Amino acid sequence: MAPGFNPVAYAVPGFVLLVLLEMVWAWRKSPNSYEPRDTLTSLAMGLGSTIAGALTAGLVGAAFLAVYQYRLFEIGWAWWAWAACFVLDDMAYYWFHRTAHRVRWFWASHVNHHSSQHYNLSTALRQTWTGTIAFSFIFRLPLLLIGFPPEMILFCAGLNLIYQFWFHTEAVDKCPRWFEAIFNTPSHHRVHHATNPLYLDRNYAGVFIIWDRLFGTFQPELDEVRPHYGIVKQLGSFNLLWVAFHEWIGIARDMWNAPWGSKLGYLWRPPGWSHDASRDTSDAIRERWLARTAQAPAE
Amino acid sequence: MGGLTAAQFIQPAVSLLAILALAWLAHGMRLGEDVRIRGEDHARDLAREAVCDFDVVDLVLDRAGIGALLRDTRGRVMLIKRHGAHFVARLLDTHADAQLDRNFLTIGSGEKTFGRVTLDLGNKAQVWAGSLRRLGV
Repeated sequence: MAPGFNPVAYAVPGFVLLVLLEMVWAWRKSPNSYEPRDTLTSLAMGLGSTIAGALTAGLVGAAFLAVYQYRLFEIGWAWWAWAACFVLDDMAYYWFHRTAHRVRWFWASHVNHHSSQHYNLSTALRQTWTGTIAFSFIFRLPLLLIGFPPEMILFCAGLNLIYQFWFHTEAVDKCPRWFEAIFNTPSHHRVHHATNPLYLDRNYAGVFIIWDRLFGTFQPELDEVRPHYGIVKQLGSFNLLWVAFHEWIGIARDMWNAPWGSKLGYLWRPPGWSHDASRDTSDAIRERWLARTAQAPAE
Repeated sequence: MGGLTAAQFIQPAVSLLAILALAWLAHGMRLGEDVRIRGEDHARDLAREAVCDFDVVDLVLDRAGIGALLRDTRGRVMLIKRHGAHFVARLLDTHADAQLDRNFLTIGSGEKTFGRVTLDLGNKAQVWAGSLRRLGV
């Protein structure tokens, strides 16, 4: 494999084709699944993300090589190493993703993926511009310490990202039960993108949904609770720069206005946390909703 | 920069063209067209989607259904407005602003990027303008 080989670049034509096919589906079945300005914003975020990734690739590569020097084992390129790397990388992704929803510093770079009120294949491409700057790659460093080669990890991460594209759709209802039990699917990931209190901060998986089942964050999609997509405080804007940077600006404003003892809380505490308890975290919203619905049917 | 190949320049340019083509196609296929608030129940649902414990006691709809103002049992006032093929909501506070012009009430949440909306509230416009003034808006 050539150094720096990126499978995602080769998948891009397939992404474009599938978006096109889903748009035809939307035209026939569900016209409001797409909105031209939303689609333009999502796709432009995707392009910006690849450019940002290319500009910061050197930093990630240098960090990977530096850490790899301290590896515990010489794993090499055996077939089983690829399989192990893919599975462990997916677990690393789970923990990155969970942290990205629970720590505002990481949320600031991840939130733009959730900022669309639509859930379609173009939403999958609404990717971060600031992931490397936020040091999101640190979650993969343990794999280097174990001894997986950097190129292998980056390749597996690329495959992981490609897999995650297809399930950003409402065109597929449920997959076969065995598949839903093991893999992340459109149904599982619709829950993840939903703002319904029951669904908030659930289903963080990349490829294997088993991580959510294992670590207690799984929530099946219920027929009686139709997902509403986006973020708790909907953005209400198609402005590309605002989509990319709004949460960073929010953090800066909050830290500026907060008393000295509380400033850092806006970096490491969950999104929605505030020093004067004037806002709600996902946990607070869910608890309040559960209390209200204890005597009433869901939603 | 010396390591950059022609392909590395061409790829983003082709991607940009594909993006513009897809967005143009979505427009041409009339996807995401014209959503309206269908009635009071729809407005209540939208309010609960935005804030799960927002129990509406009073509301007024724009005559064309492009927005609404709602008040809950705790005296909070919510503005709902159209955004693309969906709706967005904000609880109004002292940072918001409102301007009355006969039956039309122009309201902003105080957030520049959220924008302002002019609602045709008929003869209820004055009452709601007064209500917003009492909020400190």
